[in-house]
Amino acid sequence: MSVGTGTKTVRTRIGEGTRHLLIPRHSPILPLTSDLHAKMSSKSRWADEDPETEAIIAQQKREKEQKRRAKAEKQRQLEEAKAQQARQDANNTQAPNGDSGPPTKRRRLSNDATSSDAAVAKIDAEEKAQPSLLRFPMGEWGPCRHVDNFERLNHIEEGSYGWVSRAKDISTGEVVALKKLKLENSPDGFPVTGLREIQTLMEARHQNVVYLREVVMGNKMDDVYLVMDFHEHDLKALLDEMREPFLPSEIKTVLLQVVGGLEFLHSQWIMHRDLKTSNLLMNNRGELKIADFGMARYYGDPPPKLTQLVVTLWYRSPELLLGADKYGTEIDMWSIGCIFGELLTKEPLLQGKNEVDQVSKIFALTGPPNSQTWPGFRSLPNAKSLRLPSSSAPTSAGNPPLLPRSQFPYLTNAGLGLLSELLALNPASRPTARQCLEHPYFREDPRPKPREMFPTFPSKAGMEKRRRHHTPEAPKRGQEAPELDFAGVFGGAPGGDAGEAGAGFTLRLG
Amino acid sequence: MALKHLSNALATPDQLSNSSSSLDGVPSDLETSIRCAGAQLTQSAGVLLHLSQDIIAQAIVIFTRFWLGADGGSLRIYPVKDVSAAALYLTAKLSFQPTSPRSVLNVYTFLLSKDTSPLWFVRQGGSPQTPPSPETYILSEGGYQAARQVLLKIESVILRTLGFDTHVALPHTIALTYLQTLGSSKPALAQRVLQHLNAALLSPQLLYVTHQPNALAVAAIYLASREEGVKLVDSDWWEVFDVDREELGFLVVGMKSMEGFMRAELSLWNDRSIPMVPDQVDAEMERRRMMEDGE
Repeated sequence: MSVGTGTKTVRTRIGEGTRHLLIPRHSPILPLTSDLHAKMSSKSRWADEDPETEAIIAQQKREKEQKRRAKAEKQRQLEEAKAQQARQDANNTQAPNGDSGPPTKRRRLSNDATSSDAAVAKIDAEEKAQPSLLRFPMGEWGPCRHVDNFERLNHIEEGSYGWVSRAKDISTGEVVALKKLKLENSPDGFPVTGLREIQTLMEARHQNVVYLREVVMGNKMDDVYLVMDFHEHDLKALLDEMREPFLPSEIKTVLLQVVGGLEFLHSQWIMHRDLKTSNLLMNNRGELKIADFGMARYYGDPPPKLTQLVVTLWYRSPELLLGADKYGTEIDMWSIGCIFGELLTKEPLLQGKNEVDQVSKIFALTGPPNSQTWPGFRSLPNAKSLRLPSSSAPTSAGNPPLLPRSQFPYLTNAGLGLLSELLALNPASRPTARQCLEHPYFREDPRPKPREMFPTFPSKAGMEKRRRHHTPEAPKRGQEAPELDFAGVFGGAPGGDAGEAGAGFTLRLG
Repeated sequence: MALKHLSNALATPDQLSNSSSSLDGVPSDLETSIRCAGAQLTQSAGVLLHLSQDIIAQAIVIFTRFWLGADGGSLRIYPVKDVSAAALYLTAKLSFQPTSPRSVLNVYTFLLSKDTSPLWFVRQGGSPQTPPSPETYILSEGGYQAARQVLLKIESVILRTLGFDTHVALPHTIALTYLQTLGSSKPALAQRVLQHLNAALLSPQLLYVTHQPNALAVAAIYLASREEGVKLVDSDWWEVFDVDREELGFLVVGMKSMEGFMRAELSLWNDRSIPMVPDQVDAEMERRRMMEDGE
């Protein structure tokens, strides 16, 4: 074979390659987009305040749509003609004396039919020998649909970050949750929290993370809704309604799903930063989904400087309370510990009235920190005002020390071990989500209950307005981080296990 | 799952063949010139704002996506300069280096001033004889308030047009990883690779919205290694990175043609500035109509 033919094949293959790239996406997508057009055309997409410009733009859109259709029709006819031509060509080449048609490349390789077949076979073999290359998922983008495509059924709740209602997709009849973003008071345009929520949800596709279907908009610029899968319950409401706490096997099923979802988020460099029972949704098939990504954000390595005003107070880790501006995924693990405790007792574990009270409640449970259990905590901004027992002997063996068994009488040793690790004061002592999943607690009897065996509950969200929770809300963005004075942390009654109360604690005022 | 991190949403054939501007009658070569100038404007503004190149590149991709498809923005409705500014502001907001509307608008005022702009497609004539008066390149307080409203409104328009999908994966870091995998750590080669990747952001073939980042990275490495005379391994190494010969060939041709394209643009527009707002687009279309009628 001459060099000339070699280059020729490469050139045609380049041509084929580009076409091959385009065609597979072409066919399934077209009906979808035109369907979308039909839905869109009746609404103004820019929702200009001025009705006149709106009308003009709508008119332009209609004209554009017509032009587009005309062009598409022309294109279709052209393609049809081309296809017909190709068919004719194919017939010509198959004819034994096909001199009438233009000579094809294949015919140039050889003249008689048998060797031509052989050449075809050779090319086929060549193609088969090509390595299978990884193909990336083919995403697309398109404009938002209008919220009028959904019929609102009932209000579910007003969260810290937006209003949620149950709604029905009019075209498909599917029931979804519709969350309206709060966009007022945003001098900097579209709030970065909302953008991060959408961005992280779009990328966090996992069976234990709530599924964001699309973002739709209303008539005004600041009407933006997230359309998500609907779930009957949130864990907080469930715990409130239950007479008895979950069984140990059920707690494991719930916890494994939360940590499983979190492990995925952390692997995608996403911190949730507001894990709590009211942000964990459940359906009647025993499936749990992490929701409300209003506080979530990407982090990096090394960690960027971040705000400490994250995580609802009761679930906030000690390093955040002490003012750390460099923190990592350990803050989510602390929240998991709080959720674990709440699952055991049905009550939130650490219900502080304010930041100072929260710190004292934490230390009452875990014992005060010392330089062995938490090296370096002294250098945190808010630790300056903290005065701890000078002769604080190691309260119990092990690092991190075990939590008092009396608080969790029904928990196995492995369970108490895991809880103590999650609620370790020192962030570095807490397990990662992956380590947590591999903990012996989940492998010992009773085993996690299969999801399909999980009890079902009457839905609160399905029918009536959900009761507002008594959990405090996540901190608002843009607030100043308070400079806290923790001098009063040990001012009240000291924790039960601190034997030498009074003697070791000194208060520094001012 | 994790692949999403490394891949992008790509334009559909329909979006590529029917831009909103073309349906509004804007000639495709004019659209290409304006889009390319807008991308250069974004790049320059990003540099003046001290944003890192990954933020700038993401902004240019968002900017490019905005104009595609019948549902995209039309050059006869939305000013290129405002879409450029809003794309940059939006991308910076989501990054580790957010910037303020005021900084963005100050920079754009300077870059769009006919007297002071360092950009060839904005500035007219040579250097002015007398120092230009500050009013021509400094944003007044009143001007700032008005421009801020526009900036934030266009930001919303971009978000809606793209269905709030702001994810952009870039080939730059992928290319560096590939270079290390290929065992080539020559700084000049890496630099040339990044130059090709950054130039491709301005490509008239819209390479960043038609090809995945791994393919862009491989093509830039292929081309740069040829130019720098660096010999890479003796095999179809691009297949290791999931790029086939066809796609590689297309991208290499596209990247290689960038220099010629930019030279052609420079001589095409010569002394004239490229339209940056709808009125100027209309005027340019009118001018072309009259030229056609005259001949």
